[in-house]
Amino acid sequence: MAKNMTIHLKVWRQAGPEAPGRLVDYTVKEANEHMSFLELLDVLNEQLIKEEAEPIEFDNDCREGICGSCGLMVGGTAHGPQPRTAVCQLHMRHYNDGDTIVVEPWRAAAFPLIKDLVVDRTAFDRIVAAGGYISATTGGAADANALPIAKEKADAAMDFASCIGCGACVAACPNSSASLFTAAKIAHLALLPQGHPERTRRVVNMVDQMEKEGFGDCSNHAECEAVCPKGISIAGIATMRREYMKAMLSS
Amino acid sequence: MQVVETPVKLDSQVPAGRLQDKWDTYKDYVKLVSPANKRKRTILVVGTGLAGGSAAATLAGLGYNVKSFCIQDSARRAHSIAAQGGINAAKNYPNDGDTIWRLFYDTIKGGDYRSREANVYRLAQVSNNIIDQAVAQGVPFAREYGGLLDNRSFGGAQVSRTFYARGQTGQQLLLGAYQAMSQQIEEGNIEMKARREMLDLVVIDGRARGIITRNLVTGVIERHLGDAVLLCTGGYGNVYYLSTNAKNSNVTAAWRCFKRGAYFANPCYTQIHPTCIPVSGEYQSKLTLMSESLRNDGRVWVPNDSNDTRPPSQIPENERDYYLERRYPSFGNLVPRDVASRAAKKECDDGRGVGETKLAVYLDFADAIKRLGKQAVEDRYGNLFEMYERITGENPYKVPMRIFPAVHYTMGGLWVDYELQSTIPGLFVLGEANFSDHGANRLGASALMQGLADGYFVIPYTLGGFLAGVPMNDDVTTDHEAFAATEQEALERINRLLSIKGDKTVTEFHRELGQIMWDHVGMARNRKGLEEACKSIAALREEYWQNVRVPGVNETFNKNLEFAARVADFLELGELMARDALHREESSGGHFREEYQTPEGEALRNDEDFAYVAAWEYTGDHANPTLHKEELEFEYVKPTTRSYK
Amino acid sequence: MSNRGKSLIAAFRSPVGKKVLTGLTGLGLTLFVLIHMLGNLSYLSSDPDAYNNYADTLLNLGPVLYIIELGLVAFFVIHIVIGINIYRRKRKARAVGYTQYKSVGQPSRLTISSKTMIFTGIIIMVFLVFHLLSFKYGTYYETTTADGAVVRDLKCLMTEKFQQPLYAFGYPIVVILLGFHLRHGIWSAFQSLGATKPRLTPMIYTIGVILAVLIAVGFLFVPLYIFFSQESFSCVLPS
Repeated sequence: MAKNMTIHLKVWRQAGPEAPGRLVDYTVKEANEHMSFLELLDVLNEQLIKEEAEPIEFDNDCREGICGSCGLMVGGTAHGPQPRTAVCQLHMRHYNDGDTIVVEPWRAAAFPLIKDLVVDRTAFDRIVAAGGYISATTGGAADANALPIAKEKADAAMDFASCIGCGACVAACPNSSASLFTAAKIAHLALLPQGHPERTRRVVNMVDQMEKEGFGDCSNHAECEAVCPKGISIAGIATMRREYMKAMLSS
Repeated sequence: MQVVETPVKLDSQVPAGRLQDKWDTYKDYVKLVSPANKRKRTILVVGTGLAGGSAAATLAGLGYNVKSFCIQDSARRAHSIAAQGGINAAKNYPNDGDTIWRLFYDTIKGGDYRSREANVYRLAQVSNNIIDQAVAQGVPFAREYGGLLDNRSFGGAQVSRTFYARGQTGQQLLLGAYQAMSQQIEEGNIEMKARREMLDLVVIDGRARGIITRNLVTGVIERHLGDAVLLCTGGYGNVYYLSTNAKNSNVTAAWRCFKRGAYFANPCYTQIHPTCIPVSGEYQSKLTLMSESLRNDGRVWVPNDSNDTRPPSQIPENERDYYLERRYPSFGNLVPRDVASRAAKKECDDGRGVGETKLAVYLDFADAIKRLGKQAVEDRYGNLFEMYERITGENPYKVPMRIFPAVHYTMGGLWVDYELQSTIPGLFVLGEANFSDHGANRLGASALMQGLADGYFVIPYTLGGFLAGVPMNDDVTTDHEAFAATEQEALERINRLLSIKGDKTVTEFHRELGQIMWDHVGMARNRKGLEEACKSIAALREEYWQNVRVPGVNETFNKNLEFAARVADFLELGELMARDALHREESSGGHFREEYQTPEGEALRNDEDFAYVAAWEYTGDHANPTLHKEELEFEYVKPTTRSYK
Repeated sequence: MSNRGKSLIAAFRSPVGKKVLTGLTGLGLTLFVLIHMLGNLSYLSSDPDAYNNYADTLLNLGPVLYIIELGLVAFFVIHIVIGINIYRRKRKARAVGYTQYKSVGQPSRLTISSKTMIFTGIIIMVFLVFHLLSFKYGTYYETTTADGAVVRDLKCLMTEKFQQPLYAFGYPIVVILLGFHLRHGIWSAFQSLGATKPRLTPMIYTIGVILAVLIAVGFLFVPLYIFFSQESFSCVLPS
């Protein structure tokens, strides 16, 4: 039978953006090693509702590590201790009976807190809107095989394109920098010939937007890569910088 | 149970002419909207998945004013993102004999002859444009060393026509559409409203003119006016509580439209995917699918003896039952999804299931590893094995996987005509939310194709045709009494839910509903069970409105309140599904009635009496819905019995 | 100013431009401290005039020296100004901190070095002022070399200073901090300039660490040697 465990949680509770927040202690007695971390919070929430308390709010949706909705600092680490795992796929078997786990929201000025563990990540959308696309009018495309792309390039582009936009990179960065997120999109599109016509505008505008949103600068700590559920490499950040310098020299 | 039928024939608006020419003819003659007039039209697009995202981007690119809505915090998180396998197109790049006709034929056959020929043919026709469009947007599809696009084969087809981007095809296609949308947002052509839930449709003078939304952060109820409403809100698989759908996927928008007069078609057609990770306990919140490509090399088995509790490695070969290979010698482990799912259910019903819950069967790669080597298996399935281990903590290279079927996709949805327009003028329904292209069963890699076909290539034409025919600059504003009344109803529902303060949580009710649905409206259905389901769902709904406890208030971020409203709608939908399943006295695709099977236990279709789309009309909360039939005419494909023996 | 000039300035104010400049100036300064360290080691040469000759050669570069010095000043100023700017923005970018924070380790490069760049940097900056006052603008002693040339006797000044415990132990502390700064800084500069490939990153990082250790250790020798040998000396002021 699956092992039952007792888990103690210290969860950040904050009623709204302006309200004061604090860590609140909870205990879940019916934790189970097969549970995901979010299911543990579900169980706690059911308990809270029964006790006529307000449940803990946290963003989540697909619960299979691809939509990027979830994101919590679990035990001081973005998405918890398992490498390449979003918190929705973190399972309790990695914890021991009686453990105490601190749960906090992503913290960054550019990700204002909405409630409890929910933050506003629309800054990411605005960075993409600033240039993270290829202008391709619907219906005007050439045959998909008209332009061969070396497999290595396509694979490398896919590595960067797999970003789920969860914001763990920002949360884990000591500087709250969004460089990995921004760079992943720039590198994805820079690797493909379709992305070339707009590469200059793209990198300049996206980097500008990143700054305007109030993210910090990158200090090459590489913590972002270490917590990224998709393992996106900071090589993308190096690519972004090359793209930017090229853009500067050619403008 | 009594079924109210009407003799009114639903007009599918399929253009005349040869099947192959219908779409071109339609495009030749459809009315256009001039660029100056497009600017004066506001289109409300609800949902930002593949259908909604592609539609919003394309319509904004054409010059319409678009307002987009999604319940997630970003348009990029719509559930299309979770699709793994791929997208079909009749490109015939591998030169293995694929044609538009074959893609059309496979889709009709795969749908068990319950879909509309003209729609499916159009889908196959535009499939190629989708691939071109995606590549132009920078979607990094898998490629061969020569630099050309790679294809793989998928269930239900004899050709390789599936394009893919690792196991993240849905994500990449969605990001393509999202990025196209983002450009339009930046250029001011789309007004993006994230964290908004559509609570109701506003119908004025018989036309869809607006929606009521709730701001999921502040609880503010908002009115939005438009010249047309595009519903791109996905499927309703979460009525089963446990499904592969995202936690927030729901039927509310579609259901509210149903209650405003849009017909709901074929609600009983549910796809249950055979290769999912089994349920591990009561706390289980959702199910995770693993690509069915696993069945290419994995062998499915259970122990012969239902009391066999030995670990799988200690069960000798002659005490194992490879039941798919035994029952379907020619297709073996590669039978279609519905057949594989039902077979697994049967083994578990007979008590031969494995694992703690006895609700699982083994999917064993030992032979494949012996035959191909561990490396080759890792190359093919490495990421899936990793995912399995992450969730279960077991290493599938050493221990057979445990799998069980899970609800995955709903073929039914709001009824639409050839133009994707529902029975409410001005309300268009795209993607999984409509019923249109997959009949009674959807083939793998066809959902992405349909969502994008509808959004990129169909709606831009058909919407123009509609708008050209309706007056511009009428004096309707959001102050119209219909807006006020609809908003009031939405608000009252919320307040009612909050005021009950009962003893049971929303999740407890949802789980109970899911259990009823799974037991009686699941993989195998029968009259008795369905009648029981209708009754118990009605009773549960009754109890819900007496005894649900919804914490907190409206004027804040309140996920439980969101769920409460959605579950309330699921509690109504569930009954309609049971009703539809009850009236359809045949077995077709995702709908298997135990009374209608061959002596060998295979599905028995009844083309004589049931070759129609069942479209249900809402007639009141306490009245039976009315059934309208759209007869399906098969001019080009002759229905035959599917056999996988 | 031309548009291009304006956009160039804007570019260097951008998050990427700032890093590029930090990287460029950082590498330049690394080269400087490396040469400085090697020059210092000539103190230990068997030729008693080696150090003073080396210093004299530099002093006699004339205008070239001024250009180099100006360049160095510019590099320091840019490096420091941007460093402080990055730190201030970082503080602003996370108004509320975490109660608990834990690095996950590899492939993270988050180390005590990377986290303290601003502090080691500021200490080095303050040190630099005292260092210049002590030596460049310190007492002018003179000596006559074996070749008969009259040169500034910096060697004697060094001996005088490093025989005092404050200098002999203060300096090593600072050069160790410099080592820590360079441990993250050298690799970081390459990454900031986009001059890496994932395959090369571990190698560049390792070379950076080795170089940092070499520079720190190289600087340690002379002060400690002077202090522990406590040779008698007498410096001569110019007559």
